Amino acid sequence: MVNLWNLVILRPMLNGLLALASILPEEVEFGLAIIILTLVVRVASTPLVMRQLKSTKAMQEMQPKVQELQKKYGKNKQKLQQEMMKVYKEAGVNPIGCMWPMLVQFPIWIALYQSIMRALATTPENLLGLAQHLYSSERIAQAIPVNSHFLWLDLGQPDRTLILAILVGGTMWVQQKMTTAPSADPRQQSTSSTMLLMMPLMFGMFTMMFPSGLPLFWLVSNLIGIATQYFVTGGWGYLKPPAVSSSARTAPRKRH
Amino acid sequence: MSKRVLVCLVFFCVLALSAAGCSAPPQGYSGVVSSDDMLYLGATDGKVRAVDPTARGEGLPFPSSEGEWSFAITMPSKSFLSCGSSTTPATIYSTPVVVDERVCVGLYDGKVMMLASSARIDDLNFPHRKSGEWVYPEGDDVIGAVVGSPAVVGKMVYVCSSDGVVYALDVDSGDEEWRSELSVEKLWTSPVVSEGALYVSTFDGHIYALSIDDGRLLPWSFEAEVGFASSPLLYGDTILAGSFDNGLYAVRIGDDEPLWKFEGGNWFWALPVVRDDVVYAACLDGKVYALDAGSGRAKWDEPFDAGSPIVASPVTVDDSLVIAAESGDVYVIDMQTGVGTRIENPEGDEKPSIDGTTILASLCTQDGIVYIRAQNNSLYPVDVAGGERKARISLD
Repeated sequence: MVNLWNLVILRPMLNGLLALASILPEEVEFGLAIIILTLVVRVASTPLVMRQLKSTKAMQEMQPKVQELQKKYGKNKQKLQQEMMKVYKEAGVNPIGCMWPMLVQFPIWIALYQSIMRALATTPENLLGLAQHLYSSERIAQAIPVNSHFLWLDLGQPDRTLILAILVGGTMWVQQKMTTAPSADPRQQSTSSTMLLMMPLMFGMFTMMFPSGLPLFWLVSNLIGIATQYFVTGGWGYLKPPAVSSSARTAPRKRH
Repeated sequence: MSKRVLVCLVFFCVLALSAAGCSAPPQGYSGVVSSDDMLYLGATDGKVRAVDPTARGEGLPFPSSEGEWSFAITMPSKSFLSCGSSTTPATIYSTPVVVDERVCVGLYDGKVMMLASSARIDDLNFPHRKSGEWVYPEGDDVIGAVVGSPAVVGKMVYVCSSDGVVYALDVDSGDEEWRSELSVEKLWTSPVVSEGALYVSTFDGHIYALSIDDGRLLPWSFEAEVGFASSPLLYGDTILAGSFDNGLYAVRIGDDEPLWKFEGGNWFWALPVVRDDVVYAACLDGKVYALDAGSGRAKWDEPFDAGSPIVASPVTVDDSLVIAAESGDVYVIDMQTGVGTRIENPEGDEKPSIDGTTILASLCTQDGIVYIRAQNNSLYPVDVAGGERKARISLD
């Protein structure tokens, strides 16, 4: 299974990353290669992302209706579930439809992650490991070892300046906030709010622990995600919710 | 919606963990060196050890009174999460060099140390200057990571560091005599010295010649199209070095073109062995090639296939070449024919010669016994004539 993964997904991506680095200006080769490959992967997975976003948007548009149902059947969970499924069915929306395109993208992102880490080869053991994943090509050989300097970063070392951590955490928060719908259920709302804060904080911390090539990928990925979200769903989503959804959101709070 | 966030959380955790798996912390794979019936090595727990193989064979408690010692090197922790003045064991890749009764070792953590056996046996405070001990640089200062082994010639210690600098240090005091900045990243190789010049192979594809007197670059240098993966090996006036395009270069000092270049199936990471004008080169493709030193032509009908990458530099014992593959299999190869015999594991034929660990450190030979340091912090003696592996020596 591991061999299949390496052969079909990891090696092509890793070698592609190194081949790309070898044709870019030496001073920024690897940083730029990460950005370009992240963009390429994002573009390649556009159909899946679009599907996911459309599904998310449809779910968002149904929120007022869902909140009404939550108000109406809040105490009867079973009835609420039934009614919600009925509404989803009528609108032709699958509530977990926004998840499977995301699941399909998982292996691609994991491979991209692993490619970056392997290509950086921060230790002699890593460099030896890299040797077992390379195609026999002069172009790829020329890229080794990659130039790990990019802007103020040493991509092979964690960024101690906090700048990258703040950028990664901040963009992750914005991206999540854009898609996290408020809930009428206070418990659910509380969980969502916690998650909304926890993820950026966690990744801000990871940024200070992992070689900064990886957080650079997170940052670019977040920025592309925000841009895609903005243009596909036509705005900032729940980051700046329109007045109607705002009043709908505040209504249940008044109850308590 | 919270389910979606939860899925994302799990996903990113999986990503973070998988990424962490790709960047495991450095372990070090210092080789073993033999001197005056003792073995010296840097262990994976950050300790430099002097081991008496006879005492180990007799099962005496370590350290025995036979001049054995162990010195734990610790460095301030660099971890983001560490607080206060925590320390971590040093990481040692470089094979120690024995200078009289002292041992010189470079650390991945950016220090070069000279340890004196007399001071270490008595467990005196380090550095015990009266015994000739020193550390470079002193205090909290560090240089770039040292991966290659130091070269000691005359009164000088030469060492390459990851900050792209070659340092020349006084062998007795550790004082810096000169430094030469080569403007390359990851200078992980070991320098070699010959006739007033110091030769360094670099990841950016150069072999530089430096004056051993002041470190200035000498007029000759060699440039390949890709970087050199291995340290240089000097054979007469020819330098042998493996490159990232799977090549083994033979470069005559003073020439701009290589004498020959042999292509393997992967990098030549291990230092080759040269005997009677034949180069025996172990490759990460798992094969050992015997090449004519003058032409680079293959000498054996077929290269010897160990079936697993060979990282450790081989050694010769009489007319045999002894190699250890990363997987733990050890072979004794007839240098004339290229026919190899696998050393059996005393616990069973089907297991690798050394099982449950990997072999990365260069081998060492003493009195017909080859000592192999495995990544499980153990030393495995192999009796070449008897064709058997002896009992494991634990370094814990």
